Amino acid sequence: MPRVVGVDIPADKRVGIALRYIFGVGPVQAYKILDACGIDPTLRARDLSEENVARIAAEIEKNHVVEGQLRRQVATNIQRLKDIGSYRGLRHRRGLPARGQRTRTNARTRKGPRKTVAGRKSVKGK
Amino acid sequence: MGRSLKKGPYIDEKLVRKVEAQGPAKEPIQTWARACTITPEFVGITFLVHNGNKFLKVFVTEDMVGHKLGEFAPTRTFRGHTSTRDAGRR
Repeated sequence: MPRVVGVDIPADKRVGIALRYIFGVGPVQAYKILDACGIDPTLRARDLSEENVARIAAEIEKNHVVEGQLRRQVATNIQRLKDIGSYRGLRHRRGLPARGQRTRTNARTRKGPRKTVAGRKSVKGK
Repeated sequence: MGRSLKKGPYIDEKLVRKVEAQGPAKEPIQTWARACTITPEFVGITFLVHNGNKFLKVFVTEDMVGHKLGEFAPTRTFRGHTSTRDAGRR
């Protein structure tokens, strides 16, 4: 199993798919990286030569923000919203959707599993 | 969804005039222009932003540039849902 940027060990899938196991690399980024390195995306990840793995790693290092660094970036952005006391920061603090979505129903991704309350009035703490 | 680049950010002209006219005393500027984008010139000024009921003090810092004044003056009061016991008693 080839290792690219630290702990990421994509499986024996095609490289175009395997690279998506890296946090911060999705369909678009994966093909962009391979295009920049001149590698065929239909190649299996296990068939990559040492040299090609190194090329991919170098390309990601240079032009992409991935994994821990990206996670940190996202966290600081959210922290900033909280610190300046903006509405979006407030929504993050409460664990509710921050972009104006409805919360009467749905919003389960942010709110977590349903907390059913007996009686017709629903009760939910913040 | 962002605003069209062609138009540029929305900045309330009246508010800009108020900011420019402000003396060194730096007394808070009262405003209803919640939709106005905060420009770098606003940094360090305290605004009294209307939330539909009262004017809330908003001290503008550097980090707030690019946001809108209304983002810092919540319009809703949520005091929590009624507890189960209260609901039953009704």
